[in-house]
Amino acid sequence: MKQRYQNRIELLQGTLDLLILQTLRWGAQHGYGIALAIRANSGEILQVDTGSLYPALHRLERHKLIAAEWKLSENNQRVRVYRLSAAGKKKLATERSRWAQISQAIAGILGPAGKESEA
Amino acid sequence: MKFPWGDDEQRKKELKEEIASHLQMAARDREARGESPAQAGESARRELGNTGVIQDVTRDQWAWTWLEDLLQDLRYAARTLRKNPGFTMIAALTLALGIGANTAIFSLVNGVLLRPLPYAQPERLVGTTEYYPQGALEVMREQSRTMELVGVSDNGEFNLTGSGDPVRLIGNSVSADFFSVFGEQAAMGRTFQDGEDQPGKDQWVVLSHALWEHRFQSDPNIVGRWITLEGVDREIVGVMPADFRFPSPKTELWVPLHMDPRATGIYWGDSYMPLIGRLRPGATVQQARTEMKIMRRRVLAAFAWRMPDESFADGTVVSLEDAIVGDARGKLLILLGAVSLLLLIACANVANLLLARATTREREVAVRVALGASRWRILRQLITESVLLSLLGGALGLGVAVGGLSILKAALPADTPRLADVALDGQVLAFTAVLAILTGVIFGLVPALGASRVDMTATLKSGGQRNASGGNHRASKLLVVGEVAVSMILVIAAGLLVKSLWILSGTNPGFRAESVVTARITPNEMLCEVPGRCLAFYDELLNRTRALPGVKNVAAVNGLPLGGGAEIFPIEVEAHPIPDGAKVPMFWEKIVTPDYLSIMNIPLLRGRGFTEADAAPEAQAVLIVSKTTAEHFWPGKDPVGQHIRAKWEPNVWRTVVGVVGDVREYNIRSDSASWIDGVMYAPYGAHAIRGSGADAPPAEMTLVIETAGEQVQIAGDLKNTVASLNHDVPVSQIGPLKNWVAEALAEPRSISGLFAVFAGLALLLGAVGIYGVISYSVAQRTREIGIRMALGARRQEVLLLVMGQGAKLALAGVAIGIAGGLTLTRLMSGLLYGVHATDPVTYGAVAILLMLVALVACFLPARRAMRVDPMVALRYE
Repeated sequence: MKQRYQNRIELLQGTLDLLILQTLRWGAQHGYGIALAIRANSGEILQVDTGSLYPALHRLERHKLIAAEWKLSENNQRVRVYRLSAAGKKKLATERSRWAQISQAIAGILGPAGKESEA
Repeated sequence: MKFPWGDDEQRKKELKEEIASHLQMAARDREARGESPAQAGESARRELGNTGVIQDVTRDQWAWTWLEDLLQDLRYAARTLRKNPGFTMIAALTLALGIGANTAIFSLVNGVLLRPLPYAQPERLVGTTEYYPQGALEVMREQSRTMELVGVSDNGEFNLTGSGDPVRLIGNSVSADFFSVFGEQAAMGRTFQDGEDQPGKDQWVVLSHALWEHRFQSDPNIVGRWITLEGVDREIVGVMPADFRFPSPKTELWVPLHMDPRATGIYWGDSYMPLIGRLRPGATVQQARTEMKIMRRRVLAAFAWRMPDESFADGTVVSLEDAIVGDARGKLLILLGAVSLLLLIACANVANLLLARATTREREVAVRVALGASRWRILRQLITESVLLSLLGGALGLGVAVGGLSILKAALPADTPRLADVALDGQVLAFTAVLAILTGVIFGLVPALGASRVDMTATLKSGGQRNASGGNHRASKLLVVGEVAVSMILVIAAGLLVKSLWILSGTNPGFRAESVVTARITPNEMLCEVPGRCLAFYDELLNRTRALPGVKNVAAVNGLPLGGGAEIFPIEVEAHPIPDGAKVPMFWEKIVTPDYLSIMNIPLLRGRGFTEADAAPEAQAVLIVSKTTAEHFWPGKDPVGQHIRAKWEPNVWRTVVGVVGDVREYNIRSDSASWIDGVMYAPYGAHAIRGSGADAPPAEMTLVIETAGEQVQIAGDLKNTVASLNHDVPVSQIGPLKNWVAEALAEPRSISGLFAVFAGLALLLGAVGIYGVISYSVAQRTREIGIRMALGARRQEVLLLVMGQGAKLALAGVAIGIAGGLTLTRLMSGLLYGVHATDPVTYGAVAILLMLVALVACFLPARRAMRVDPMVALRYE
């Protein structure tokens, strides 16, 4: 069981980190809020698995890319809220450009194949 | 493997709360969308999944992840290495050679140079660089404020008689407080007490543990027993612990010095020995040195006779470790330098292998980067792999070291100081581990840096194509040049040493060693105290030996050439007055029976040899001198008829009757020690001069027996002959003179042998390195070669092209190696004989050898390139 989760974490690691950092750019947010935001912003396509989300949050926290504190929510509930750190902002910038590179590369590979299928 | 800081329980609780809040928020949202509370809670939980597992995997993120990363890296590295068994084996074996050789040599260095002496506060122990007689020891012992000084004679030999076969034991005469200065207690009984080195109170002996065990069967009641040593009865007062072996591991017993000021000749003349001291509390070595200078004047003033003003002027105090290790330090450091060069070559080789592999792994790295691995993470992964590889090499290297060390210990001359202390211990193992890790980082760094700098987009785009990364290839070429250069240095060093050895073994020692057997005959010194008794003993012994089957002739000498010993004393040459206070000439005297010169084939150049008549008390006192001695003292004159006398015998002039050829008396490199001014021969008899001034010929002599052939076995007959004359006379060291000569070459042979092994390995590794790089480059250029051939290049041209590429690399390496050799081999000029450290012949020969090896290594891949089929090559990729 645990093994299954870990495999998924490993696969998603780079991208999920990027998505979390990007989401936190709009302000501090708790885990549930982050999951909601990613789902909403991807047009309900990306469902973030909680078993991947929390490990990612805690890992990013340990790497000091995000910081966490306990706050009270609007419903007066104690929630753990994450916020982007300075290092996290820098990381986000580099990850974004890297992502652009990869998608360009992949698009380059896929591009001709797409044309073929059109023809 | 949870994180080691903070309190775990608190965080666990918070995590639980965090997940619970998530669940609550999800449920509330569902309720808001119209689900019933129960349904909302249920589906939120289902959507979330197993909260226990989520908490678990999240907690894993708190863990000390570098350790987990490391484990993961290690697992991954192990898998990669297992998948490439060929690569792994070659790399690990290469490293095993390098690390193993270093471990073996380091354990020598550790045992001999680094490990503190096994005595209490060893850093407070010092030794003198000069030898002093008993009288000087007494003066300094009373006056020194900085040291407690004791004397330790050089290894002496003692006959143990009266209990079984007479045997020859090695022992040292020591001051009564010798053991207390070392802070050593006896394992059984006691050591010597104050004043027990005074005449009449010195009839004691302390045994070494080994002697007690082997000769006395570990007798628990040994203390208090009396034994006869050199004809003197002594009481065994104690047995030392097994690990106490000072001054040498050969020491089997200790007897007190016999400090008798009335025996002037011995007290001031014949008892020279090194002194050992323990610094008094607060005193420094520097103070002790200053004090030695001041005490020197007082010692000279106290002498029984006028000494040259500069006597003992060079004498100083050094740490006991330095005093013991002496010039072995330099040799060991040179060996250590050589093996580190070897390791460097091994590193370069493995780095090259990794570089070649890195290119094929570019895609793997690019994919990992694309999946979000940072450059640092990839670097760490690659370094982990190389460290794992070198640890593997280190483990194998330990095997190499164990084997190498036992060969080393056997190959090194037995008198190498502290050889017994050498072992593969914890310190050495730690050294090996650190060395392996460092090695892994060093050879892994360059390839890893290159590989982690992968251009992800380009690599992914280029699909299956191999992307000949120019940077890597330049690095590997540089590595090969460096490798050839370092091999060149090692091979030059080995070449110089082997040439020295060759010249040394070709030197004429001045005597013939073929068909001569020698044996040491050692009656107690007392035998000669009665006038004529010794003479009669040896006369009879020589006669009876001469009659043995297979024996052609026999003679006796007080010590064999090549360091077998001689009488040493100051002399005066007629008509060569020495100003007061100037250095008095010191002579070596070989005391021989008449046939010695002819058996040893030492040529008589002028005058006559000795006859039986020269031994008689009433005969004229005569001498023979060596050629160099004659030329030094009587240049251009006829030495025959000149006169020499011992410094202390003002009235007995001895006449030179002959001149003989020079003999390597001191060692294989030189005829005599630097402080010796001449060598002379005296007949065994009444007129032999003793350094001690004793009026008797020496009791201990060496027989030189000319046999009818090389294979004559006479040991048994000889022992019986001696026993039939005197039961208490041990016969020892029976063996061919050739072995004695070979032993004189033992040290240069062992060192040049070691270097030859290093050089052979260096050559092999260098050749493998060149082969690897050239084959790789051929593989990379297959397409280019195909095009060239398609355009009409001939096969020979392709061959030359590839060979030329290798030759260029090798030439660059050779050139750098020559420059390096010129700088580094100067350090070893002390080990060379008859060849200069810049010997052009050696350099030239080694350069040619290296080029040849390099070309052979290039030839195989070049031939492969030559056979490239242009059609196949062009379709390739």
